[in-house]
Amino acid sequence: MNLPTPPAHAAPDPMQQGLQDCCAQGPVSVQPAADGVPTYWGPVEAVPELLAHLKSDLGGGFEMLYDLTAIDERQRQHRPGEPPSDYTLVYHLRSLKNNRQVRLKAAIEGDAPAAPTVTDLWPNADWYEREVFDMFGVHFQGHPRLRRLLMPPWWQGHPLRKDHVARATEMGPFKMDDAEAARLDETMRFRPEEWGLAGTESGEFEYMYLNIGPHHPSTHGVLRVVVKLAGQEIVDAVCDIGFHHRGAEKMGERQSWHTYIPYTDRVDYLGGVMNNFPYVMAVEMLAGIDVPDRAKVIRIMLAELYRLSSHLVFYGTMVQDVGMMSPVFYMFTDREHVLDVAEAITGARMHPGWFRIGGVAQDLPQGWQQLVRDLLDYLPGRLDEYDAMVLKNRIFKARTRGIARLSTDQALAWGATGPMLRSTGMAWDLRKAAPYSGYDQFDFDIPAGRDGDCYDRAIVHVEEMRQSLRIIRQCLDRMPPGDYKARHPLTTPPIKDRTMHDIETLITHFLGVSWGPVIPPGEACAAVEGTKGLNSYYLISDGKTWSYRTRIRAPSFAHIQMVPMMARGGMIPDLVALLGSIDFVVADIDR
Amino acid sequence: MSTHPQLGGRGDSADHHPARPAREASQLDNGCHGTQPGLTSGGILVASLQKMLAWGRKNSLWPFNFGLSCCYVEMATSLTSRYDIARFGAEVIRGTPREADVMVVAGTVFVKMAPVIVRLYQQMMEPRWVISMGSCANSGGMYDIYSVVQGVDSFLPVDVYIQGCPPSPEAFMNGLLLLREAVGGEKRPLSWIAGPQGVTRANMPCQRDLKRAARLKMGMLPTPEEL
Amino acid sequence: MTCSLASAEGGGGFMWPLAVYCGAVLLLVGGMLGLSFFLGQRHRQRATDQQYESGMVPTGGSRLRFAADFYLVAIFFVVFDLEIVLFVSWAIAIRQVGWGGFVQVLVISAALIAAWIYLWRVGALDWGSSARSARRDRKAGGPS
Repeated sequence: MNLPTPPAHAAPDPMQQGLQDCCAQGPVSVQPAADGVPTYWGPVEAVPELLAHLKSDLGGGFEMLYDLTAIDERQRQHRPGEPPSDYTLVYHLRSLKNNRQVRLKAAIEGDAPAAPTVTDLWPNADWYEREVFDMFGVHFQGHPRLRRLLMPPWWQGHPLRKDHVARATEMGPFKMDDAEAARLDETMRFRPEEWGLAGTESGEFEYMYLNIGPHHPSTHGVLRVVVKLAGQEIVDAVCDIGFHHRGAEKMGERQSWHTYIPYTDRVDYLGGVMNNFPYVMAVEMLAGIDVPDRAKVIRIMLAELYRLSSHLVFYGTMVQDVGMMSPVFYMFTDREHVLDVAEAITGARMHPGWFRIGGVAQDLPQGWQQLVRDLLDYLPGRLDEYDAMVLKNRIFKARTRGIARLSTDQALAWGATGPMLRSTGMAWDLRKAAPYSGYDQFDFDIPAGRDGDCYDRAIVHVEEMRQSLRIIRQCLDRMPPGDYKARHPLTTPPIKDRTMHDIETLITHFLGVSWGPVIPPGEACAAVEGTKGLNSYYLISDGKTWSYRTRIRAPSFAHIQMVPMMARGGMIPDLVALLGSIDFVVADIDR
Repeated sequence: MSTHPQLGGRGDSADHHPARPAREASQLDNGCHGTQPGLTSGGILVASLQKMLAWGRKNSLWPFNFGLSCCYVEMATSLTSRYDIARFGAEVIRGTPREADVMVVAGTVFVKMAPVIVRLYQQMMEPRWVISMGSCANSGGMYDIYSVVQGVDSFLPVDVYIQGCPPSPEAFMNGLLLLREAVGGEKRPLSWIAGPQGVTRANMPCQRDLKRAARLKMGMLPTPEEL
Repeated sequence: MTCSLASAEGGGGFMWPLAVYCGAVLLLVGGMLGLSFFLGQRHRQRATDQQYESGMVPTGGSRLRFAADFYLVAIFFVVFDLEIVLFVSWAIAIRQVGWGGFVQVLVISAALIAAWIYLWRVGALDWGSSARSARRDRKAGGPS
């Protein structure tokens, strides 16, 4: 979907006018983007004013800072109409209430990039700015605590800069003897003074600082939460992430558009194809590929299957965290039934990498209907059993009711999406608000909670499972015939039936498979309602066979940033229940 | 043969001073490269006691609840009902390294996490083994990237490598069974004070040689169009 | 029962089984501790003797001044545990002390129950800093 350039005599864009009015430091220009999201450029000194204007009702009421990232523009060739820039900051805002998005970009030139902070507008800008500092070296003036987020404190350099080495094999073998390990351990010792937490309650008792994680069963992976304890009560908490940083964004610049798909699988490793989904949609936006209907419905069916699988893991592990030992075995057994269907169709259980640019990898195998039908007959009864076993259990309710409450305003201010947001009472789902891949043809409800506590989050997840089953049943009943891949030159790998018949097709296919598809220059951001929340891939193409910049906006990053706020005042078991109810994946946080 | 324990670790040849490359120690475990011969001094009584203890250890390998990444989900799945590695004695999954026998490095080894892994390994009690699970732990896998160590054997001695990305629970079970075989054939010192010191590893056959015949016979594989 | 044994053997009759039992206990425990000290392999690396805190080096010590809540719980336990000891010793001799003993136990329990109700009402059984601040407010004289 390539946007036509607006005719020269078009009416001035009111939003651009509004932005220009509150910006005295320089011009505000418009940039067309392949995904249709209004994109504006503004001077970096004016960014706080411009964003404040956008956040206000007059400017559009964009209450959520959806993403804050940067681009290293120094090696980019195709930037028609864009202001000169070495480092571009990208602020992606969303208004869920008005169902709109906007992107504001700011150009920074020079070797010492700096920008003003926006943490006073949105509290979740804290970690986003720290990440941009870590990855690009942009200093945010006024940031309360600008330090590395993902890389270890001793790391030199900024990884996402174009002059930073990408591959480990280019860095020399990893050497760590015992003395080195001891030194590295010391750098990770928690020092309360660095976080503004030092101080003892006078006279009565001393606070204890306890590391929960990175090796801990309750943190669901390598997440580190340092808690300041008064007895057993959490006075404050600090989350230290980056133990799971796999450089997925940098890897996008070293893989072709097609070979990057398996890396997307492993971002939310419980989500399977749900991760491929936004990535291939973004590439298809850039390439201008229209996916056939059958491929769309297959994609929806597989995505909902993996939502079921991920929610079953959430269910089992969350109730295990609060103390119920048996249900996790039942839920994992049910997950095996789901994964059997997924494996029969895609070939793999956990990381299928099955979506392709232009469609899906293969057509559905013969006999898939019976498999799916068996699953649809089996699972609802089990979910009802779990309702009685878990959700109506008095101890479960005592452990989760009223724990770690979240209000809708807090959720929007912190960038929470998905079940975290819906449990607070706001029934917003991207599949209804801005349907993609044909979701508007399907009949399903959006479950919402009321109090935003751990119990409501669990309830929302269980209801979502039931709605997923509903969608899968509709996919089963109404699967359209047709191609499973688009017949477009940039579809990778292409359908081969015409290859041996005409030379043009043969040439295009050969180049596309060997060298890789050359995606036209542009930028696009595609989002899906993922298993954990809104997951989007913001891709910038420079007209090559690889991505110039791959930005993964992961939902768990925003959610874990909220943990200190939600854990304060509770006790350690409440923190455990909270971490279980957030439904995050550490690879989703650190990418 | 000293009778006193020394600081810096001794007794277990794999429990080495990290200055010595770990690969050398782990290659000793792979039968393809040759192993040390079986008998130790100490007589029949000691030898049969060692065999009995090895049998006991083999049937009660307690895994360490240590998961880094996606492979951990498959490891946890193998503990659940359908795969159930509890029937091999690996039921008691321990959260603290003091009580665990087998550290399954399940997932990618990150640069930020490397000192943590070493610390946890050092806090494990003898006897201890390491399973490297998945491509990322074996060699860095598909993540040839600045923040990933290219294989956990860069700094830890590994006993069994399990391939896969992620290895299915059956593959993890296969690796665990291999380790059981290796553990059952070991001879470890009965006491740090008296008796033969030093660990004698089992003479493990090369898995590639064992499976080659069956693999060559595989002809007709199912196509993706059928179930 | 115990009295009859003593009277039959002349006072020292029940010492032998007790001595044997103590000896067996000492032997078993000593054996377990001693054997586990001498058997098996040993190693000591840099981090082996350090505390386990999820793989990280700890911040601060663990010998801290804890909140008084923990002390209170411990004291309550001791008090009510001694109460149990009194009850159990009464239960052993229940036939010998008869109705008089029963009345005495009732008096003891009434006193303890009254103390327990007082503690409950004054908020000593509530847990956590919210409870502590509530107690402080009450001491200061009414809600502030």
